[in-house]
Amino acid sequence: MYLTAEEKAMLSGEYGPGIKRCMEILVKVGKASGADRMVRINSAHVMPKEPPDLLAELTEGVSDLGVSFCSQHALMSAFDPEHWEAMGVPRSYALEELKLRDQRLDIYKRVGFYQTNTCLPMLVGNLPLTGDHVSWIGSCAQILVNSILGARTNRDGTVVNLASAITGCTPYVGLHLDENRYAKVVVEFEDEIDTENLTHADLGAIGYYVGRIAGNRNVAFNGLPETLDIDQMKYLMAPLSTSGSVSICHILGLTPEASTLEEATGGNEPEEVILVSKKNIEDTKAIYDLQDNEEVDLVILGCPHVTIQEMRTISQMIEGRVVQQGKRLWLGMPYMVYELAKEMGYSQAVEEAGGIVSSSCMACIPDCPLPEDTKVVATNSFKAAHYVYALTKGKVKAVIRNTEDCLGLVCRDA
Amino acid sequence: MTLVRIKGRVVNGGECKGEAIVLTEPFSFIGDFDPETGLLTQQDSPLYGTSIAGKILVCPSGRGGTIAPFIAYLAAQKGNAPKAILCQRVEPLIAESAITINIPILDNFDCDPLKCIETGQQVEILENGEVVIG
Repeated sequence: MYLTAEEKAMLSGEYGPGIKRCMEILVKVGKASGADRMVRINSAHVMPKEPPDLLAELTEGVSDLGVSFCSQHALMSAFDPEHWEAMGVPRSYALEELKLRDQRLDIYKRVGFYQTNTCLPMLVGNLPLTGDHVSWIGSCAQILVNSILGARTNRDGTVVNLASAITGCTPYVGLHLDENRYAKVVVEFEDEIDTENLTHADLGAIGYYVGRIAGNRNVAFNGLPETLDIDQMKYLMAPLSTSGSVSICHILGLTPEASTLEEATGGNEPEEVILVSKKNIEDTKAIYDLQDNEEVDLVILGCPHVTIQEMRTISQMIEGRVVQQGKRLWLGMPYMVYELAKEMGYSQAVEEAGGIVSSSCMACIPDCPLPEDTKVVATNSFKAAHYVYALTKGKVKAVIRNTEDCLGLVCRDA
Repeated sequence: MTLVRIKGRVVNGGECKGEAIVLTEPFSFIGDFDPETGLLTQQDSPLYGTSIAGKILVCPSGRGGTIAPFIAYLAAQKGNAPKAILCQRVEPLIAESAITINIPILDNFDCDPLKCIETGQQVEILENGEVVIG
């Protein structure tokens, strides 16, 4: 594998033992994957779930990275260091997590990782541009950064991701290369579907349906409006990497590498064309439906995290209502969006109604300390529904509804 | 007893000896295995409940789970990780997991390790990528 003089110096230990260890890992994994060189990254996004000893080993001798933008992920499960008690997270779990968190925090501060605590770090300053090489963790962040921003990340494992964040380089392989970014699966819609008026839940159902068929292949949507906003794209794309492991989702006429079908597919014949019908959407929603005798205990919004625009809508919907006794409403968003929403009065509207705003992960990966009395969760997110059900091994049921209907399930008039 | 020698590509080098455990399905450190005990947790596997701690793990490949390298690290800290991994063909995450805990991992053998090696056999891995079976 070709290494630059600087990369060789990293590997030989000139920059300290942490960088040396990171470079050894990157070179070995790179060789195993067939990379012939490294590529510089200008943005990283890591998951604060590291075993503290490993984090200490990989950052030994590193004082401040200073070069690349490295933000942290919100994957702390539903555990929130500020609000865990109000959220009903078990004390024993919280105390253990807080201890680990403090150990990691000391290191993050030393090396200069930004405490963004979100799965959408592009909303709060980690904003790579089209064609940039990056290393981002989290299946949803990965598909969004690849597709909406057109920056390039592989689905790295947590250690290659961390080593890339620390060294500022990553093996030049996989989705960093043009030829691996083309769509293999093209998705079209039956005429009966009014694509101009799809709800967030409809878009989520489409993503969940297509992800199952596409598997790990890149996808291009043909026939969606060019006016889709970031929230709509978020609800469409997150489930593609939940039911499947799709890394890139082009939307023709909208996303940066898909001005035409030819650009999105690289001029190649698609391996498969999926035609989505109304029945496909309804059948997919029915996977997460409510039975007559069931009552929703908890509503989760913000998987992926709520944007400021979405927060505005939610605060308007919740006006004049309060969360019923014994029920819960959780919203996930980055602290920075929360502060802006507070400035605008939106956060107060949700909190005065009895909702909790948290900067943690609403899909609860990889474990799920939901309050013990939780039986049924409603959400507008297929990703959250999928993981809540799967990670509680079916003990907690998940239901898909539109945002407004979700609020209706746990709120009453004030 | 005759010894069989096979040779593979060294993804992460090292020398060690141990007892083989042969899985017929691709392996992931997350979901297929409990880092607290070293036991296999795939209920439909004939080796369900068997320990891989300190053994030479033989498997076709790895499979998904981006957090797998962290789980491998936790297992290694508790002495519950395998001693080495031999694959038909590595995928990035199993390679990354083995490299993180710095155990030998080899693939691309001149003879299919799933056919040449049986669970319970003694296996020795040499620095040059040779594996001595039996």
